[in-house]
Amino acid sequence: MSHHDVVVVGTGLAGLTAAVRLAEDGARVLVLAKGVGATHLSAGTIDVLGYAPERVDRPAEALGALVDARPGHPYALVGAGGVAAAVDWFKARIAAGPLAPYAYAGGVEENLLLPTAVGVARPSAVVPETMAGGDLRRDAAICIVGFRALKDFHPALAADMLTRAGVRARGVELDLVPEGRVDVNALGFARAFDAPAFRAEVKAQVVAQLGVEERAAFPAVLGIADPHGAWTELEHGLGRAVFEIPTLPPSVPGMRVHKSLHETLRRAGGRVILNAVVTGAEHRGGHVSALRIRVGLREERRGADWVVLATGGLASGGIELDSRWKARETALGLPVTGVPEPGAERFRPGYFEDHPMARAGVAVDHGLRPVDGGGERLYENVLVAGATLAGAEPWREKCGDGLSLSTGYRAAELVLAASTAAGAAAGVAGS
Amino acid sequence: MPTLQAELLVIGGGATGAGVAWDAALRGFDVVLVDRADLAEGTSGRFHGLLHSGGRYVVKDPVAAKECVAENAILRRVIPDCIEDTGGLFVTTPDDDPAYGDRFLAGCRACSLPAEEIDVAEALRREPRLNPGIRRAFLVPDASIDAWKTVWSLARGASAHGARILPYHRVIDLHREEDAVTGARVRNEHTGEELDIEAGFTINASGAWAAQIAHMAGIEGVGVIPGKGIMIAMNHRLVNTVINRCTMPADGDILVPIRTVSVIGTTDSRSADPDEIPVTQAEVDQMLDDGERLVPGFREARALRVWAGVRPLFQDEKAGAVADTRDVSRTHAVVDHRERDGVAGLLTMSGGKLTTLRLMAQDIVDAMCAQLGAERPCRTHAERPPGNEDGEPYSLGSRLRRREATLQDEQLICECELIGRSRLEQAMRRRGTTDLDDIRRSMRLGMGPCQGGFCIYRATGILHGVGRLDGAEASASLHGFLEERWKGVWPILYGDQLRQARLDDWIFQGLLDVEHLPDGELAA
Ligand SMILES: Cc1cc2nc3c(=O)[nH]c(=O)nc-3n(C[C@H](O)[C@H](O)[C@H](O)COP(=O)(O)OP(=O)(O)OC[C@H]3O[C@@H](n4cnc5c(N)ncnc54)[C@H](O)[C@@H]3O)c2cc1C
Ligand SMILES: Cc1cc2nc3c(=O)[nH]c(=O)nc-3n(C[C@H](O)[C@H](O)[C@H](O)COP(=O)(O)OP(=O)(O)OC[C@H]3O[C@@H](n4cnc5c(N)ncnc54)[C@H](O)[C@@H]3O)c2cc1C
Repeated sequence: MSHHDVVVVGTGLAGLTAAVRLAEDGARVLVLAKGVGATHLSAGTIDVLGYAPERVDRPAEALGALVDARPGHPYALVGAGGVAAAVDWFKARIAAGPLAPYAYAGGVEENLLLPTAVGVARPSAVVPETMAGGDLRRDAAICIVGFRALKDFHPALAADMLTRAGVRARGVELDLVPEGRVDVNALGFARAFDAPAFRAEVKAQVVAQLGVEERAAFPAVLGIADPHGAWTELEHGLGRAVFEIPTLPPSVPGMRVHKSLHETLRRAGGRVILNAVVTGAEHRGGHVSALRIRVGLREERRGADWVVLATGGLASGGIELDSRWKARETALGLPVTGVPEPGAERFRPGYFEDHPMARAGVAVDHGLRPVDGGGERLYENVLVAGATLAGAEPWREKCGDGLSLSTGYRAAELVLAASTAAGAAAGVAGS
Repeated sequence: MPTLQAELLVIGGGATGAGVAWDAALRGFDVVLVDRADLAEGTSGRFHGLLHSGGRYVVKDPVAAKECVAENAILRRVIPDCIEDTGGLFVTTPDDDPAYGDRFLAGCRACSLPAEEIDVAEALRREPRLNPGIRRAFLVPDASIDAWKTVWSLARGASAHGARILPYHRVIDLHREEDAVTGARVRNEHTGEELDIEAGFTINASGAWAAQIAHMAGIEGVGVIPGKGIMIAMNHRLVNTVINRCTMPADGDILVPIRTVSVIGTTDSRSADPDEIPVTQAEVDQMLDDGERLVPGFREARALRVWAGVRPLFQDEKAGAVADTRDVSRTHAVVDHRERDGVAGLLTMSGGKLTTLRLMAQDIVDAMCAQLGAERPCRTHAERPPGNEDGEPYSLGSRLRRREATLQDEQLICECELIGRSRLEQAMRRRGTTDLDDIRRSMRLGMGPCQGGFCIYRATGILHGVGRLDGAEASASLHGFLEERWKGVWPILYGDQLRQARLDDWIFQGLLDVEHLPDGELAA
């Protein structure tokens, strides 16, 4: 059985963040994951806090008030300072990563307001440089460019909604079809945008249609191999600000994040095994010594000093609920809190109502260690991060990636601090 | 006040009303049909999907059974495109009395229903997921029937013979002169405009709402007891044959394979108001247990959607109260208000089922002819309405086959239900609708496993793009769709469907932020 300093379960933003942070400090890290996680679906923006429940303009300030009001919220485990530190770290890693000079803009002090694909102004704190130009707090008319072959982005609809909210916007649709296919998803277009010839074609078709003052918006498909190059080339070629608007999944900006962090991890000596489903743990008392894993049809065991559990929430299969209302954390079988008793109401009949089980998840203490119903720590060497945590409704609060980034980062810091202390006591450095 | 004239006004655009319009138009009557909502949005769009062989009724209600036997055969002939010939099995589960099987067979014989007992092993070969503990199995000519297709096909057929079909026109009053009903006032539910319809005759085919309509003519005591039933659609064809428990009719004892899903049902409880039919989590739980009895592992399958319908069970006041709505006969009756209440020009259809819609229409139009002294024979047993001309029965693979043909040159808008862009645009134009929910019902858009997570944004964009929706309508339409969809899923959210719902939360609220759409509240 192989043994690792840390096994991270899950390769979403929380898992990758923890893994990179640990590997950078010399820990031997293995990431085990069933699939690639929500990064490939999400907007690629690090939303720190958008609604609480009113719209938030200054997330760092609002975070303080949020954790005072809701001590059970996962942000209470990291605090505003912890979020800021994680964001700084993340921005530095992307800027130094394999897609550099592709970088992130913004910070925790204030939210930008970025248009969504239906033209709603959505608050977002830390965003790809390729999206920042869409900030609606700046008053400049927008021309949204789309492609008929890309069914996951409708420029006229977005423009119409923005107009209704007082933004000067209009949409145009191009008939360009990469490789002559009528049905191409966001990733297909991103690959097309990696090619200079396609970019030139787009430029040629768009340039004559733009008004003098307009900024130009595109679906978030401006390149996957070299997004900085594609974006700057369009800005120069069109002579104006150009920005991306997220599409329906798959998410090209999300894939860029995944690719950057994954490569950074590899450079730091960490390893990822995909299609590895963690099915349980072996433990002695409050200490997990090994994980049971299923890779395809093969069963394996892996030993670890530390486990960071970042398996996502219901959306990623980290938590499941069966038809008899039994909820289960799927990797280690940790207790799930926030699920109403059988027979009690789980959901309300109105979609936008407050649903009783919305905040279900794994409860932890301040050391991110999972706890039982009585608040007792279950395992000393297991830390939980990301969407698995109980206490938030990130899709409504607009804080998904902010939570996963900051708790993943925090988990790594806690492991590093604890193993340094242990190492010092035992007279060994790091591991 | 704008006015329309017609020989016959049909109130209700469900299976019965559409059947009546088709029947009367074929006999040469000038018909107007109105429904307060879209066609087939009442009970007909919320039923179980079974074209009864009659087997369910042979022991308890032989009259109803005989009607089913005859009508099943006729409908297969005249609307083949709406019917999938799945066949049906009646099975004795370990919880059922095997002796009932003998009464069942005797009943089938008495009703001329061609039923055949087959080996349990043979039944299990045919349906491998069936409970291996079953003790007897009987093969019958059950089938599944698409109500939406049926209703629209009949309505289009009626149109082709001059009928005017007016969905979203609610009857708000009946006109009465002396001792006769002479038409109705209706309100266009989209524009709010009112319209008078002057009609020589009125047929009340409003199903569970029939008493409300009769009341508008000052007629009381038309006893329609709304009998509520819930159904759950599961993600797969767990079976390819209709499976019935071989017992006296009970809850959750039929599993119907229809299109790509299978539907378990149903319950039967009295409901006070046909417009208030909530589904509870307890009912869902009961239905899942019932499903488990027929197909072990049922609870592990993915539940897609739950809904409820109200049976228009008829009980005239004079007959006294009933304890169990299931004990009310499933046959239909024409209520002649001239005889019963001294009011001419109005007939009400009561009771019945979708399987017998043709016979019901024939009976009520015959009654009208009798009252009018007109001699015009019924032709619906021999005519095929549009879409059914070639006599080919529907088969599950036909949609995929169509889709494969255009794979290279068309965008797929709904991956779950295989809906291409041109079909969607066509439907939008043909229906002339701006309502995403109408499209959803007519094309099953957003009704597959992903519950609209992807296709609804796309469809909204396309509707908006072809100029059918402005921004405000698009907002309202998106919100309306999300609320409608949620109604059908929240009581069954567990397992994979809960995971899907959370993914959809992320798409609609995380990525698109639809709750902050301008004017979204219009939908409320
Ligand atoms: C469609 C969509 C849109 C979104 N939009 C936004 C947005 O606009 N802004 C924003 O901030 N956030 C958004 N998010 C949310 C954000 O992406 C997630 O909250 C966040 O990325 C979750 O990260 P995570 O690392 O906690 O979990 P995930 O990314 O869900 O990763 C979980 C990982 O654990 C693995 N796993 C699960 N169970 C097991 C097991 N038993 N064994 C092994 N591996 C397992 C999974 O395969 C996966 O690798 C969106 C999410 C989605 C789905
Ligand atoms: C749970 C359940 C399962 C069933 N399963 C089956 C089955 O498997 N097989 C089978 O053969 N039968 C089945 N039935 C029975 C069958 O569905 C009904 O008998 C049939 O659909 C009734 O059709 P209808 O046209 O009479 O009523 P509806 O379809 O309800 O039509 C009545 C119409 O009147 C309209 N209306 C109401 N008020 C007004 C107004 N003021 N102005 C204008 N229009 C108005 C309504 O909008 C509605 O569209 C089932 C019934 C239920 C409840």
